[in-house]
Amino acid sequence: MHAVSQLFHAIPFDLLFIQTVNGVVTGMILALIASGLTLIFGIMDVVNFAHGELFMLGAYLGFVIFVTTGSFWLALIGASLIIAILGAAMQIVTLRPLIGRDPLNTILVTFGISLVLQNYALWQFGPVVRKIPEPVDRYFTLFYLQYPWYRILIAVLSAAIIAGFYLFLKYGKFGVWIRATAQDRIMAQAMGIPVPWVFTGVFAIGAAMAGASGVLFAPMVGVSHTMGLDWILKAFIVVVVGGMGNLAGSIVAAIFISLLEAYSSVWLDPSQAVIVSFVVLILTLLFRPTGLFVSTSK
Amino acid sequence: MSEKWKQEKWAEDIWYRGKVTRRSIVGWGGGAIGAMMLVPAPWRAAFGAEKAYKIGSEQPLSGPGAAGGKTAVVGLQMAADRINGSGGVNGRPIELVIADDESSPAVARQKTEKLVSEDNIDLHVGGFLSNICLACMPVWEDAKIVNIISVCLDTTLTTSKCNRYSFRPYDYAPAQAVAFAPTLTKMGKKWHVAFTDYSWGQSTRDAYINEIKKNGGEIVGTTGIPLGTPDMTPFLSKISGDFDGLFGIFFGKDGVTLVTQAYDLGLTKKYKFAGDGSISESTNLIAIGNKIDGFIGINRYIPVFQGPLDTPYHHKFFDEAKARLLKIDPSGPLPDKYVQSNYEAINCVKLGIEKSKFQGRADTMKLIEALEGLVMKAGEDFPQGDKVLRKEDHQAFPQEFIFEVSGGTYHLKETVPGDKTMAPPACNFSA
Repeated sequence: MHAVSQLFHAIPFDLLFIQTVNGVVTGMILALIASGLTLIFGIMDVVNFAHGELFMLGAYLGFVIFVTTGSFWLALIGASLIIAILGAAMQIVTLRPLIGRDPLNTILVTFGISLVLQNYALWQFGPVVRKIPEPVDRYFTLFYLQYPWYRILIAVLSAAIIAGFYLFLKYGKFGVWIRATAQDRIMAQAMGIPVPWVFTGVFAIGAAMAGASGVLFAPMVGVSHTMGLDWILKAFIVVVVGGMGNLAGSIVAAIFISLLEAYSSVWLDPSQAVIVSFVVLILTLLFRPTGLFVSTSK
Repeated sequence: MSEKWKQEKWAEDIWYRGKVTRRSIVGWGGGAIGAMMLVPAPWRAAFGAEKAYKIGSEQPLSGPGAAGGKTAVVGLQMAADRINGSGGVNGRPIELVIADDESSPAVARQKTEKLVSEDNIDLHVGGFLSNICLACMPVWEDAKIVNIISVCLDTTLTTSKCNRYSFRPYDYAPAQAVAFAPTLTKMGKKWHVAFTDYSWGQSTRDAYINEIKKNGGEIVGTTGIPLGTPDMTPFLSKISGDFDGLFGIFFGKDGVTLVTQAYDLGLTKKYKFAGDGSISESTNLIAIGNKIDGFIGINRYIPVFQGPLDTPYHHKFFDEAKARLLKIDPSGPLPDKYVQSNYEAINCVKLGIEKSKFQGRADTMKLIEALEGLVMKAGEDFPQGDKVLRKEDHQAFPQEFIFEVSGGTYHLKETVPGDKTMAPPACNFSA
């Protein structure tokens, strides 16, 4: 009994609560990025290595719109729309001609695009890190820390965007087309669904989600040409752990991995806590290669 | 059309009538060589007849280090243009051979091999990321090529991993720690150190821990954060307790992330905030805004005209560097320490070549001897100030500037002369 009491005293509940909030916030940003990535893979079988650069370009466009208009919300909407158009153009010009070819072709093309976009941003905007100020600069007290409301807002907005997209998939006409194409591409085409345009639309939606997350995250880190690189690796881990192409799985995996890292950092050295997500990735690939959050029942 | 010239009379005379003979070639050739020998050397130099010194430079022009690599190249090019514009070194121009290491040690090793064996460089000036400098130092040593490090700050480059061929003509963490620790312990006795968890961050952390303790301070904890971590909040949330100051060791966009997120969590208001000057380089200040107000830092270079930096040659360096930086970034950043140290590294090489009469790789040992103990005097070549390359470890000790950031600019608080920053040499070239 004494040992149990000592154990409870040893657990830093305040830090655990703070890390829960951190894990959920980080998880929601990651979910927004990863859901675009998994959507593109699920429908088109394309592993989009340029997704991180769409995130980065979204942030840069957000910065340009913010400087021009002074409105964060216009920057968020405008950047998402422009990135959607850019994504559609990218799909039509570079990926549509590769439909039906070996997946390695699309991997190489998207990897090439990522390098081009990254170096374009460096050339166009230069090495100075840019700033988009947060639209809400208030704080609340969370145990021994002050905590920014903006982080909570990011989590709520990410959840709202993902929920809106889910409703669109479930009830929207184009959403039904997307689901039909995901289930059986040939049958969908036979039923008159314009599959090539569904692919373009899906890529545009995925790109817009990356762009939106870039603008949302920019106030916390600044805008730089490599900001996409920092997220994309983790987004790929989330997509694999959640199940390639499984939207709900990716969202759960994003929160799961972020919480796991946040809790690990309570007891482990923070740099060791980062390894946890890689351990989960390896274990998933070894024992459940279809993903942790995919139902195995038929 | 293109064959029409063959029908011209002059062409027929030369090619088809047998008027070009061995005798005429020898005659005209001999005359030309004789004429060249009579022409004075400066004339030849001015018209580019002299072979250029090939200086290789590895810089991260893509990948995570690219932002700093771009400003580093501005410094290199500025110095090379100035030298070539004034007649070169020993009458020979300088040619820069810049290689993009893609911010990757593996790529850097390949590019180093290429610079050595294919580009046939005479010497190397460069290196930005410490893990890349560490990876490439043995290659320069094996190839017996002088390597002037121009940005890397990892302590071990001139201590436990030093070699005879590598030089660092600017400061390193132990010197900064010697200069800064008395100020830090006056600000508060108990410190928590947050650092970027790779070679530079780790060696800099160790240097500050030693010096803070030597000055009667105490380190209550350290937090290592992996390089390029976009959301540092889970790491920073753990920092709490009874201590006086938070000391940060970060550079590039990681510096922006640290300051922004530490401010948002209230850490920089609750504790005094100080750190390595890399956090507050001019390329970061715009993004950080007023969240860094009150930060006390140390740096070998800050772009202000205060104290010993208010000199005509610093004004000249600043104006030209600013104009060149504007060409690579429309926001017009101010010069940073990466521009300064690359600019001065090329000028350091110039002095060494002049002193040793270095002609190429065969004279490497002569150049090394000239660089060992080289005195660099403040002036247009060295706008940062005086410095000497210590013979024992090839490390320089420039003056250091302790400053406060507020209102988006730097305010010089104290200048620590180079001789007051000396850390004992810890290098054994025979090892």
